[in-house]
Amino acid sequence: MQAQALPRLLFGNPGTPLTLGQHEATFASSYRAASLLDELEASGLTGRGGAAFPTARKARLLRDQRGHNKVVVVNAMEGEPVSYKDSTLLGTNPHLVLDGAAILASIIGAKDVIICVSRDNPTAVGHVQRALDERQRVGARGPDFKLETAPWRYVAGEESALVHWLDDNESLPQYRPQRPSILKIRHHAVLLDNVETCANVGLIGRFGAAWFRTLGTAVSSGSLLVTVTGALERAKVLEILPGMTLRAILNVADADADPRALLLGGYGGSWLDAVHLDTPYDNESLTPLGASVGAGIIVVLGREGCGVVETQRVVKWMANESARQCGPCAFGLPALSDDLVELSTGSRASASAFTRLEHRCGVIDGRGACHHPDGVVRLVRSALRVFEQDFRSHARGAPCDGSRSQKYFVNVPKLEREHELIWE
Amino acid sequence: MGVRRRTGVFYLRVNPILCDGFGHCHELAPELVNMDEWGYPIIEKEPTPLSNLAALESARYAVRGCPRQALRIERVSES
Amino acid sequence: MIALTTPYLWYTTRATGLVALVLFTCVVALGTFVANRVGGTVVGRFEINELHRSISIVAMVFLVLHVTTTVIDAYAPTGLLSAIIPLTSDYRRVGVAVGAVALDLMLAVWISSLLKIRIKNASWRFIHWFSWLAFASAILHAYLTGTDTKSGLGLAVVAACALCVLAAALWRYFARPTRAAGRTALSPLAAAKGPGPSAPRVASPNAAASIPRSPPSATRGVDTRGNATSFPRGPSPRTEKKRR
Repeated sequence: MQAQALPRLLFGNPGTPLTLGQHEATFASSYRAASLLDELEASGLTGRGGAAFPTARKARLLRDQRGHNKVVVVNAMEGEPVSYKDSTLLGTNPHLVLDGAAILASIIGAKDVIICVSRDNPTAVGHVQRALDERQRVGARGPDFKLETAPWRYVAGEESALVHWLDDNESLPQYRPQRPSILKIRHHAVLLDNVETCANVGLIGRFGAAWFRTLGTAVSSGSLLVTVTGALERAKVLEILPGMTLRAILNVADADADPRALLLGGYGGSWLDAVHLDTPYDNESLTPLGASVGAGIIVVLGREGCGVVETQRVVKWMANESARQCGPCAFGLPALSDDLVELSTGSRASASAFTRLEHRCGVIDGRGACHHPDGVVRLVRSALRVFEQDFRSHARGAPCDGSRSQKYFVNVPKLEREHELIWE
Repeated sequence: MGVRRRTGVFYLRVNPILCDGFGHCHELAPELVNMDEWGYPIIEKEPTPLSNLAALESARYAVRGCPRQALRIERVSES
Repeated sequence: MIALTTPYLWYTTRATGLVALVLFTCVVALGTFVANRVGGTVVGRFEINELHRSISIVAMVFLVLHVTTTVIDAYAPTGLLSAIIPLTSDYRRVGVAVGAVALDLMLAVWISSLLKIRIKNASWRFIHWFSWLAFASAILHAYLTGTDTKSGLGLAVVAACALCVLAAALWRYFARPTRAAGRTALSPLAAAKGPGPSAPRVASPNAAASIPRSPPSATRGVDTRGNATSFPRGPSPRTEKKRR
């Protein structure tokens, strides 16, 4: 594995995960790190759940917390509907994830690891369960692993909502004014990391930071898992290197080479105009363009599509996914959705809806307890920027042809119940 | 009580989960709290100097008057 | 135990009891006004809240006077114990018991409100709901124990109070705001369209874990047929792949 480039994380056959024996054989290594935390720090690994927070810094913060019964939580909820990387990873290499979680547990001094998979993804649950059973049968040393299955909702993957579900059986995001704030289950400190982050930690533990840094850029080290959906035949999960241009990624994914725009970062991310296709795919290059890598999500919007309609569909679903705890989100997101519906149909009210849209974005932004409304506002603002001409023609009452075709590129789940909210 | 330092600033913070849009804060501290179209407070993000006693008093009344106890005054003293 | 034998104590008991009942009727009515977000134009909402708090203090004073005069009065032998613990009085056992229940609940409501800043808002709200039960007990107590309330003006007053609070309770329920539909008329945006039909009604967060949740129709997994994903690797997984 020493000279291996890619794949690292997706080594194997997705759908047929490596057994424990195969895993140990494939990732056998004699490298022993002196200090795992220093190794993690040297690797420069950042979180793969969307926020890209330095993993070593988070681990150090948790290690310095007082308390005996710390917990490591592995977040495999994958709340974004257009992201499949986490379930693919669990279907390829669950033991790598478990290794990483065990390493994090040893760093912070935790005895328990909880892996949270979405209840509505029975395949992934099965993969993790089998991996845990294998470990138990072999009698592997390390922390106590536990599998928890939370019901799938968009905000259920948000870290405070997930920890609150573990604590109180309700996936409700919490208000956390203190920065830095430590997640807690009862009063036990929690280190929560994304599945892909844990897998990378597992690799670093086996092969060291220097090996890890052989791939990737100076700032974004390691490899990235990316889900590409939209204008392509089959959704793809790719393991790529940061710094690869978007055009190259689309090429490898066999996607439409001449799209209208890309949606980067998920439903709470931003649109990017296709003129920027030659931008390297990493946060340093994307941030000046108002986009980000996020949780490695790319949705390709074909030329026949309409950005206004796609944005409207996403915002309508996101409004329904609000936890309804905070007024600006509970009322503001449906209002944005209504305005976007007016705009996408090009009705008589669309001109006033257009002027209201930017104003409402400014009012809603930053006033929720979690960042759900912020994500929607970011999406809408980026849509107003990228699809400005389309919005103006819609506002004049002349919607484009793309809006009338029923061909949609962004896969939005069907709305179950419009006005009701049942939380478990 | 002793001499209170009047240097530094304060923020009026709202817990958006507890807030239920009663609107008492907007009535009691209109210079710090505005209202959005759904009845929820838009609070001044800029800090207010502690020397602005009128604003501090309004903020205190708002904190006391909130039916959901959703408001807090966060003092940041000059260091 | 102090026990005085002047009849004026007994008159004071009856009088303060009635006054306390009337005042608590006002308090409950004002409480429903606060909860249903009355005000904002002529009267400020915070003013109604302050009235509710202030009158409750006055009502508590009269309640304490009522209990004290009862306890130290030798004519109607009710000790301090029976004022707090129900069914321990020899004199009009049930009536005084109901009064004790009302007193206990009101003390809980009052103390929790004094400590409102220090306790969790959810706990305070939970205790505050019992004020309805406290009032109902007070009405029952007034009718069962009261000397004046069995007929005439006294009965009319008690009946009026009971009807007022019943009306307030019904109004509280039927005119309740959708989850925070509060709009103060002072807001410059007050004229804008309100939440409208899209305003969500929140089902109780703890409701119905048994309601079946259909899995989201988004495909979980790589593609709908469950086939292996295609991702960049050559014929052998050990081939060098430079991706720049």
